[in-house]
Amino acid sequence: MFGSLLGLGGGVLIVPLLTLGFGLPLREAVGVSLVSVIMTSSAAAGVYLERHVANLRLGMSLELFTALGALIGGSVAFLLDERLLALLFAGLSAYIAFSMARRRSDPGRQPAGAEGAPDGYVVHDMGKGVIGATFAGVISALLGIGGGIIKVPLMNLAMGVPLRVATATSNLMIGITASASAVIYLLRGEIDPYVAGPTAIGVFLGATLGSRLAPRIDLRYLRALFVIVLIYTSIQMFLKAIG
Amino acid sequence: MRPYGFDARIGRLMIVMTYISVALLVVGVVLMAVNRISPLDGAPAFDPSLIWTDLRAALPVGFLWLGLIAVIATPIVRVAVSAVGFAREGQWRMVAVGTGILLVIAVGIATSIATEH
Repeated sequence: MFGSLLGLGGGVLIVPLLTLGFGLPLREAVGVSLVSVIMTSSAAAGVYLERHVANLRLGMSLELFTALGALIGGSVAFLLDERLLALLFAGLSAYIAFSMARRRSDPGRQPAGAEGAPDGYVVHDMGKGVIGATFAGVISALLGIGGGIIKVPLMNLAMGVPLRVATATSNLMIGITASASAVIYLLRGEIDPYVAGPTAIGVFLGATLGSRLAPRIDLRYLRALFVIVLIYTSIQMFLKAIG
Repeated sequence: MRPYGFDARIGRLMIVMTYISVALLVVGVVLMAVNRISPLDGAPAFDPSLIWTDLRAALPVGFLWLGLIAVIATPIVRVAVSAVGFAREGQWRMVAVGTGILLVIAVGIATSIATEH
């Protein structure tokens, strides 16, 4: 619900919750998180496609490279020490906390096309899109996140896609990115159904509730709380990495 | 220009598949509760050949595995169906993109199976 209210997938919260809160090995937590990410992405992407907000052609073109990145990341994840993965996660949490804190302190700053209509835009700089999408795929597979934090600014700022379309298209892409690596985690025995089932249902219900509550909640306070949680997560993951 | 109806149909397919996945997972979790299984008990390893047997025996793990497979398969099915739709419209570049995505996933599956054996 937290993620849905703030426009993030659940991965950035699920992985530390399962690892730090329930003592699950990091790789197993990443596998479970990927399943939850696919669940919320599919539900949202389905609605976005029905409403013609997501750009299916652009999404599929970039998905080829996020899937490639996910294949690389999903394979590399099994070669890396869990402490290095924890260190990467600590860095990612700190980066997201910093980005959200900056957005909070500068609410008037909106990316180009933030209010733009879904139609009537020209996608440019596919080269940057290809590189960014591959990177997003690697990070998603390594850390169990959807990668929207990379894909949305990539499409909006570098490729000229209106923010609304970029968010919807990113949601569409997250599913295939996470699927490509989730298959690897599943076949290598890193997804425990007793953990993944309840987690996925919880995330689905939370995301559904969050989308209904969003208009009634002052997101400034929620965002501030989220920044604190992320900073705490980052410190704990860093301690796990060095300890 | 492709008709909007195509995107809407794919969107509906994704929503239906998501609800089927949720339903299977809910049944699995309810059976976990009935059988007093904790999420931290540790489940049997993934073996696709046992899913049908587990389902017939109403074991939670059968419903959970099937639900998880449905979750993971939803975006893959979406790409496959989109590729077929593009092929019907003669948009061969998009067909190649869709096929490429499915190939990448197939490589991931093949290398995982090879590594595990």
